[in-house]
Amino acid sequence: MLGKLALAGIKNRRRDYLVLLAGLTMSAAIFYMFANLATNRAFIKANAVVSQASLIFGFGAVLLILITVVYIMYANSFLLSMRQHDYGLFMMLGATRKRVGELVFLETLILGAIATAIGIGLGLLMSKFLVGFLLNMLGLHLAHLSAVYVPAIIATAVLYVGLFILASLFNLIRLTRTTVLKLLHSDEQANQPKVKPFRQLIQGTLGIVFLAIGYWALAAIKTLQMTAIPLALVTITLGTYLLFRATILVIIRGLRHTAWAKKHLNGFLLGQLNFRVHNYTRMLTIVSLLFAMALGAITVGSGYHKQLPMMAKTLGTYSIAIHDKTPAEQKLMDQLHVAYTATYTQKRQGKTVYYNADELAKQPVEQQRYKKSGQPEAHLYTQSLKAFKKSGTQDMNFMALALGKVGAYTPKILSAEQFAKQTGKTVTVTTIRVKDLQQDMKPLKQLNKLENQRFTPPTNMTVGSYQGYEMMNAFFGGLEFMGYFLGIAFLAMLASCLMFKILSGAPGDQRRYRMLYKVGVRQNLMRWGIAKEIGILFLIPGIMGVIDVLFGLQMFKPLMVAPMSPYLGIGSTFLIFIGLYVIYYLITLALYWRIVLPKTTTD
Amino acid sequence: MTTATTVVDVHGLEKTYGKANERQYKALKDINFSVAEGEFVGIMGASGSGKTTLLNMLSTLDTPTKGDVIVNGHDVTKMRGNQLADFRAQEVGFIFQDFNLLESLTAEENIGLPLALKGTASKVMDQAIHEVAETLSIADLLQKYPAELSGGQKQRVAAARAIVHHPSILMGDEPTGALDSTSARELLDLLTTINQKQAMSVLLVTHDPFSASFCQRILFIKDGQIGSELKRGSQDRAAFYQQILNELGTFNE
Ligand SMILES: Nc1ncnc2c1ncn2[C@@H]1O[C@H](COP(=O)(O)OP(=O)(O)O)[C@@H](O)[C@H]1O
Ligand SMILES: [Mg+2]
Repeated sequence: MLGKLALAGIKNRRRDYLVLLAGLTMSAAIFYMFANLATNRAFIKANAVVSQASLIFGFGAVLLILITVVYIMYANSFLLSMRQHDYGLFMMLGATRKRVGELVFLETLILGAIATAIGIGLGLLMSKFLVGFLLNMLGLHLAHLSAVYVPAIIATAVLYVGLFILASLFNLIRLTRTTVLKLLHSDEQANQPKVKPFRQLIQGTLGIVFLAIGYWALAAIKTLQMTAIPLALVTITLGTYLLFRATILVIIRGLRHTAWAKKHLNGFLLGQLNFRVHNYTRMLTIVSLLFAMALGAITVGSGYHKQLPMMAKTLGTYSIAIHDKTPAEQKLMDQLHVAYTATYTQKRQGKTVYYNADELAKQPVEQQRYKKSGQPEAHLYTQSLKAFKKSGTQDMNFMALALGKVGAYTPKILSAEQFAKQTGKTVTVTTIRVKDLQQDMKPLKQLNKLENQRFTPPTNMTVGSYQGYEMMNAFFGGLEFMGYFLGIAFLAMLASCLMFKILSGAPGDQRRYRMLYKVGVRQNLMRWGIAKEIGILFLIPGIMGVIDVLFGLQMFKPLMVAPMSPYLGIGSTFLIFIGLYVIYYLITLALYWRIVLPKTTTD
Repeated sequence: MTTATTVVDVHGLEKTYGKANERQYKALKDINFSVAEGEFVGIMGASGSGKTTLLNMLSTLDTPTKGDVIVNGHDVTKMRGNQLADFRAQEVGFIFQDFNLLESLTAEENIGLPLALKGTASKVMDQAIHEVAETLSIADLLQKYPAELSGGQKQRVAAARAIVHHPSILMGDEPTGALDSTSARELLDLLTTINQKQAMSVLLVTHDPFSASFCQRILFIKDGQIGSELKRGSQDRAAFYQQILNELGTFNE
């Protein structure tokens, strides 16, 4: 009988359950995908160009687990808030606490099991299609990635079912400790937190101190090593929470006594915020962290993506060098947007390669300067033949034009007559510097492939900036991919966290806005009121998240050598991300309007 | 058509629930009556007789199928959108059975809401709130939240909110329905005071003869139609109460 009643209660809130289930399913699917990447040994081995790769993936996994734990706690409290009233009713009707407790336990667990099962299924599908799509978009190749990986399935199932068992126990304890009356009126209870100035001040100061420690830890990742991340995560979370707790309430209280609060619905808005400030601080903390992580991950990801070509510029004075070009290669070369090209005839004899001085005078070799640290600069220059003979022939870029099985030939420059007499294997080499590496990626890739087929490429060395780019791309590819992947994952979780909050507040708000309607509040005023309230919910974590990211990017400084910097070009990434966030706000708002605004006539 | 002393004038009012292609139910049939300025009128009828429906038409919470409703010179059936909201905010004060207080606001903020909507200056607002709180003896409750108030106190706060902006008529839909007998009586006394001291017209809907006995005139409604009418005249409340009971005896046969 009670089971039936419970089922009826769930049916009544189909939409809310669907959202909850969808959120949990997404989370499980994301976790599976990541676990698949992070634990798949064959995959890691094949792609571990960087020794840190598995470390990076491991760190990502830990981060994702932590966030997942918080996320499930949040989802669970949403579930509980939905069911409290029903449970209270059952108890009032005479159901024993034990019986209701069993019900709670089972309900939570069943929901969790379903979400996990569907989530893993979805994760399999997404691994197959989505990951491939993302990699394609980024122009990356990650070898040995299979969609089905049993250890990842087990890891996901164990983590999620484990978490749901914990959640069920938590619900059980929560419920058996609350009085029936409280359960019944859970959504009407006035929760009026008191302002205690001294305590508030301590909380605020403590919050700022924690945040400062967190930001410092991120910047000092070089000295702190792996302790930096967990330290920052804990302190920033605590700091954000305390800061929100200390300030939001005080600000609301302060505003409430102004004349502004007595105009139109402003007082109502402040009342609403004050009323739910405790729920809000928790939610805002989580959302601001998710926001920061999503934005941070995507910024880092796209940072690499944007900066690689820039970095590649300094990796060579020419983009590519073609030896004894074939007609097929010529066709590809015609497609390039050439900034500078030169063709030289070489004669290779013994360990020496001879060049024709006339050719070098007519087409001077472009050279680059080096900083004291040995870092190459992007700026290029040419020299007179005389000066070039003296110092330019030893440059790596020039030496690399003639590579043999044993290594580089020693270059020597002969006058035209001497060169004509010189014996040796004749090779012509064409160097091309393109205007924009990114623009000519396709033909360069094919050219490089053809060149490598004819001449075995040297190991441990790249010739031209294209090859340099390719190597760097593989080098940082994993990191970049993880950035995008985690960014999208966190964004999805953020979206569903906000959705939970919004939906769990909807029934109460429906009632309140209906009251306002009766009292004679204009429809537009209510629309604005809702837009402001939800806007604040989006704005606060947005601002906090941006601050977190600006500090947090410090963490990537040691990983990026100049001229790369984690802060370069973040403007456009931020703009796109914020654009997405605004769109999500508008969608949420439209949804909330539809749920909460009263129809214009009674029904 | 409306004289200066008529606050509510209802002509041939009909309300049919359900769309044309659905099963329809006629909740109100050809209702005609008027309320004079300063009058205390009761509308009495059994549960389901159409009282709430009627009040919703008068307060523009719902639209009639047919007929005219004129409140303080405004034909409410012709209003749309913002006009309706503004009308509710300015012309009527409403007391609901379930209080309809916003639990996120203090009593003071709840009472001030109609003034805030009008954009009243905050000084004027404070003055008005304290005046009305004095009248309803809730001055010491102003800083409390609804959850901290008893039913009777809540309803007094609601009454304060209903009259703080001096509407042309105060309407109550079973305002004593959720109150114990002492609180109910206090509220009815208050309504009487408001009616007499502030000369505010009051329209009270109830199924309870005791509540009805506080009115000057009672319209009996049954199955969506107004049957008979009783006037208190000069008799005292107890005698009027007896008369109502007698009337109910015959009315319900
Ligand atoms: N929204 C509605 N749709 C259909 N029927 C309704 C609706 N509201 C009220 N009714 C019907 O109209 C009749 C009068 O209802 P109501 O005015 O609420 O009565 P009262 O307030 O006198 O108890 C009742 O029979 C009720 O079932
Ligand atoms: Mg009714």
